[in-house]
Amino acid sequence: MVNIMDTNEEECVKEEVTLDVEAETNPRVEESDSSEDEVAPLNTVGDVPLKWYKDEEHIGYDITGKKIKKQARKDMLDSFLAGVDNSKNWRKIYDEYNDEEVELTKQETRLIRRLLKGKTPHAEVDPYTPYVDWFLWEDAKHPLSNAPEPKRRFIPSKWENKKVVELVRAIRRGDIKIDKPKEESCLYLLWGDDSRSADKAPGINYIPAPKPKLAGHEESYNPSVEYIPTKEEVDSYNQMYEEDRPKFIPRRFESLRNVPAYENAMKESFNRCLDLYLCPRSRKKRINIDPESLKPKLPSRKDLKPYPSKCYFEYKGHKNAVRSISVHTSGQWLASGSNDGTVRIWEIETGRCIRIWEVGEGVQCVAWNPMTGLTILAVAVGLDVLLLDTGLGDDEEQDKIKKLLHVEATTVANDSDHNGSLVDWLQHDKYKGIRMRFCKTITSVEWHRKGDYFSTVMPGDSRGILIHLLSKKLTQKFSFKQHGIPVATKFHPSRSYVFIATNKAVRVYDLLKQKLIRKLEPSVREVSSIAVHPSGDHVIVGSREGKLCWFDMDLSSQPYRKLECHPKDITNVAFHRSYPLFASCSEDSTSYVFHGMVYSDLNQNPLIVPLQILRGHAATNGRGVLDCTFHPRQPWLFTAGSDSVVKLYCH
Amino acid sequence: MPKHYRPAGKKKEGNVAKYITRSKAVKYLQISLQNFRKLCILKGIHPHEPKKKVEGTHKTYYLMKDIAFLAHEPILEKLRDIRAYDKKIKKAQKKRNEERAKRLLTRRPSYTLDRVIKERYPKFIDALRDLDDCLTMVHLFAALPAMDTEKLAVQRVHNCRRLSHEWQAYISRTHSLRKTFISVKGIYYQAEVEGQKITWLTPHSLQQVVTDDVDFNVMLTFLEFYENLLAFVNFKIYHSINVKYPPILDPRLEALAADLYALSRYFAASSRFQAVESADPNLAIQENAAIEDKDTRNDESELRLAQLQHQLPANEPGTLMQLVEEAAGEDNDDEETKVCKALFKDLKFFLGREVPRESLLFIIPAFGGVVSWEGDGAPYEETDKSITHQIVDRPSQKHTFFSRNYVQPQWIFDCVNARIILPTDDYLVGRVPPPHLSPFVENEAEEDVPDYAKTIKLLQAASRKEIMPMPGIDKQDLEDTQSLLVEGIISRTEANEAAERKRKMAILEKQYHDELKMELQGVPYTTRESISNETDRQSPAETTDGKEESLINVLPDPDPDQIAKDASSMATVVMSRKKRRLYEAMQIGKERKEAHINLLKQRKKKAESSKKSA
Repeated sequence: MVNIMDTNEEECVKEEVTLDVEAETNPRVEESDSSEDEVAPLNTVGDVPLKWYKDEEHIGYDITGKKIKKQARKDMLDSFLAGVDNSKNWRKIYDEYNDEEVELTKQETRLIRRLLKGKTPHAEVDPYTPYVDWFLWEDAKHPLSNAPEPKRRFIPSKWENKKVVELVRAIRRGDIKIDKPKEESCLYLLWGDDSRSADKAPGINYIPAPKPKLAGHEESYNPSVEYIPTKEEVDSYNQMYEEDRPKFIPRRFESLRNVPAYENAMKESFNRCLDLYLCPRSRKKRINIDPESLKPKLPSRKDLKPYPSKCYFEYKGHKNAVRSISVHTSGQWLASGSNDGTVRIWEIETGRCIRIWEVGEGVQCVAWNPMTGLTILAVAVGLDVLLLDTGLGDDEEQDKIKKLLHVEATTVANDSDHNGSLVDWLQHDKYKGIRMRFCKTITSVEWHRKGDYFSTVMPGDSRGILIHLLSKKLTQKFSFKQHGIPVATKFHPSRSYVFIATNKAVRVYDLLKQKLIRKLEPSVREVSSIAVHPSGDHVIVGSREGKLCWFDMDLSSQPYRKLECHPKDITNVAFHRSYPLFASCSEDSTSYVFHGMVYSDLNQNPLIVPLQILRGHAATNGRGVLDCTFHPRQPWLFTAGSDSVVKLYCH
Repeated sequence: MPKHYRPAGKKKEGNVAKYITRSKAVKYLQISLQNFRKLCILKGIHPHEPKKKVEGTHKTYYLMKDIAFLAHEPILEKLRDIRAYDKKIKKAQKKRNEERAKRLLTRRPSYTLDRVIKERYPKFIDALRDLDDCLTMVHLFAALPAMDTEKLAVQRVHNCRRLSHEWQAYISRTHSLRKTFISVKGIYYQAEVEGQKITWLTPHSLQQVVTDDVDFNVMLTFLEFYENLLAFVNFKIYHSINVKYPPILDPRLEALAADLYALSRYFAASSRFQAVESADPNLAIQENAAIEDKDTRNDESELRLAQLQHQLPANEPGTLMQLVEEAAGEDNDDEETKVCKALFKDLKFFLGREVPRESLLFIIPAFGGVVSWEGDGAPYEETDKSITHQIVDRPSQKHTFFSRNYVQPQWIFDCVNARIILPTDDYLVGRVPPPHLSPFVENEAEEDVPDYAKTIKLLQAASRKEIMPMPGIDKQDLEDTQSLLVEGIISRTEANEAAERKRKMAILEKQYHDELKMELQGVPYTTRESISNETDRQSPAETTDGKEESLINVLPDPDPDQIAKDASSMATVVMSRKKRRLYEAMQIGKERKEAHINLLKQRKKKAESSKKSA
């Protein structure tokens, strides 16, 4: 091709050179013989993409700048028919640029044929004519270049050589590898000999990942009907929080071909991957036991008989809730004080009400004098404590009681001078007893075992515990600082100790040495009651949150056992004097009876077994059982309820 | 001085020294977070929960020992090398040095995971124990389309396919498949290899849904490890049954996507070869096997050649292959394998075009059946007279052969789980099959046993000849329960009747027991006893002599529930707080379970009542 061009050019040049001479004479010089130049292109838009004009009505502009309108588009069918009719139709070519049809002439087709064959377009041109140097060398003063050919043109390149050497060396060294790496299988018998135990097991920190949960019936493509949630249930799932919503909702397909691809397959697989590499793992002991086996093995209750188990007797007569009951040491008499303002004395065996005192106000507490002969009853009513002669003993005893309950006017005056307005010892004319007047409400009265001293508790006062001496009609303030609100006092059954229960703690004081001995910390919200074991070494404390604390005085100040038995306040706790029994009663109108065996061997811990839940009291005004006490000799329990009934439970 | 002051020279102790947060670990190892992730996945290192989170509660903590272990990992170096190498490639590409870039790309440094696998699973049994996730993942990716956007190359998908088929072929060959379950998520399989129960999930063979809310980098790293692990495991298990790994498959069958069948043929061929190698001359070889015998005495390459040219027959009964299989199998198979092997022993199956072929091609041979399918390369045609069951899943079958049963695919799965040939009545074409139950639920442990599970249990008992399913059939007939069941003599209604009878018996028995218990406690009688006078005091004690302690309770309403509640609440009183909390928690769990069971029962009752009314 290049050759052709060259020769053409040469010809042209030659022609020009030859024509140059006659340039002035011949004006046709400007004209070219090519047909293209004769007819200038109509369109003047130049070499721009024609699609720009696709949507326009014109195809471009003519030389004067006027728009050239597009020709009407020919019908395809017409053009086809025309093509069929006209045998020369194949010569027609549509010129997109000028929007016209051009018919090729014979010469033009010939030209195209030659070009397609790879020949020169014109048959007359010989591409292989010998080269004729038309430059006239001899007259040229300045040659184009006269420099001799440089040497470097004739020797191999140094830098190329260096590069090649470098490559060769790299290939020899193995830095460059020509042949493709072999695809070799790297598989081999990895676990050849498992019997060899030299392989170290993964360390102690290695925790294997837990296996995914296996599918249950509900994941089946065709589960039983009961696994498919109803429409309402599915709707309710949608209203749940995202976390609570079930991850998988069972569906049912009639046949296997209907089952679609699972939409969450990738997501679940990805989540599993995340679990595997992002979740901290830790070993958790999962107890797979029968919950019943957690319950301690208790000794058979049959072996722990006798204990109160069934309601045997009911003492009815009070009109309102019975606040407090007390059994006389002889085991014959039961005293009860009620909110209806009466104090009654019952004969236990027969249930006969022997005496009734109308004291006006609701009775807070009743307490028998613990001496067998002295049938004196202490009753706490409002601001008063009444010491009543019940008149139950024989004549000799009656005389003694009368003497004791006689208050001389002078002592009253002295006492009142001495103690200020602390307590007034007054003769009660109506009931032939003593009336002690306090400044605040008395909630509990507790007798010393010898029947001469007794203590009273005024929760409203900062120094609310007073100790009284009946024989001398004396009253002392308790000489220690009170921490918190006093709740109850108990005398040690054999020593001169006193247990002071405040709402937070129990303190034990030695009355003779005048010092604090122990402080027991039940760590409950509010202490409500306290009872001392007949040996004096064990204390139970009941609390308002329904917890019962057993303290061993030889052990720490923390409770030895804490029993969560009642859902509501414990109102009172009691020890039996001779049997290994204790009881608690609560506002949930039940009372528990426990076996509380204390061993003389110091190494053996006390045995505590719950024996019986005693029900029967009806809850009235939201209160249940208000007091409980044991019979001094028999394993019987008396409970006083807010339903104004006193019950006796026997074995 | 602050409370936790540490003197200058003293080392850190406790949680500070033992744990390291993730960001610190990445800094310590001097790698990118992506590479750290990769390394953790490959090495199986996971975070730990320290007792005290020193650096803050919202951080991830790794054991310092684990991180130190990673720091010495050769793969860590390799990852750094790869990074440097990738820079070279990038540089070459940017400088338009295509040749160099191409040359560099062929020699990218790579790492092998064999050492890591051995480190993580020192014993083969350890690897088997952890194979569940591996199999599930490989099977999932075998079903995925190759994606350029997620860097999931076609080769990897093919590799996954190959590995999963190899595994299935082994399981099928050794008859160690135990349970199968079609769920909405896919098909679960459970196999027992070397005493390890391995469960995996294969997706339904459809175009999978590819979501874009997953991080493919993480999944592909996992897949990389799992592919390697499964390849080594396959190598080991193939080695254990004396088959060369990797297997060379018939390209024609492979092209037809019948890899499993190709693999089973490969197994058959290689086992024949080995059997002949080790055969004693006294082995009874049948006449028709003699010619093949000659062939197989040649070396292995020739065998392969022969195999490629389809000169070896398919698994036809009576050939040497069968002989070898039995001779090898009898002695070392355990009881269950024998049962599994013989389940479909004399049955010949043909699969329709619409049933999941891959799954059934795997299951049926695993339980001793012979199977063919509609399509090229199938061992036998649909017109074969000896076919006993044809598996179809279409509303109706137009042309039927009388000699065979047309059943839905679920029948195979249920038979496999029940280990008996179930009556085909319910599974016939066009019927709604009975509920498909999960074999992974221990029905004895659960309280709600679906009805169909009870039916299956009854049929199982019948096949074991334990009880007479019907009074009408004497022992003679029961001897051949298998055929009896196949023939459908025990129809479903009768089986249901038997179940109903059994239930009634159970109810009666329960009632009797309850009454007996009540009588023992004597509860209702003690309540009536009046306690009016004192002389009666000893009487209750006498009457209740030698019985429960709870009898002594004489409350106004001593109903037995109250007594039981009292007894339990009294026991909880003396429990320690820890135990009591635990007990309460257990009770909550128990209640939740009961609520669930009640819900199921309620739904069942509703469904039954609606069915009756309809």
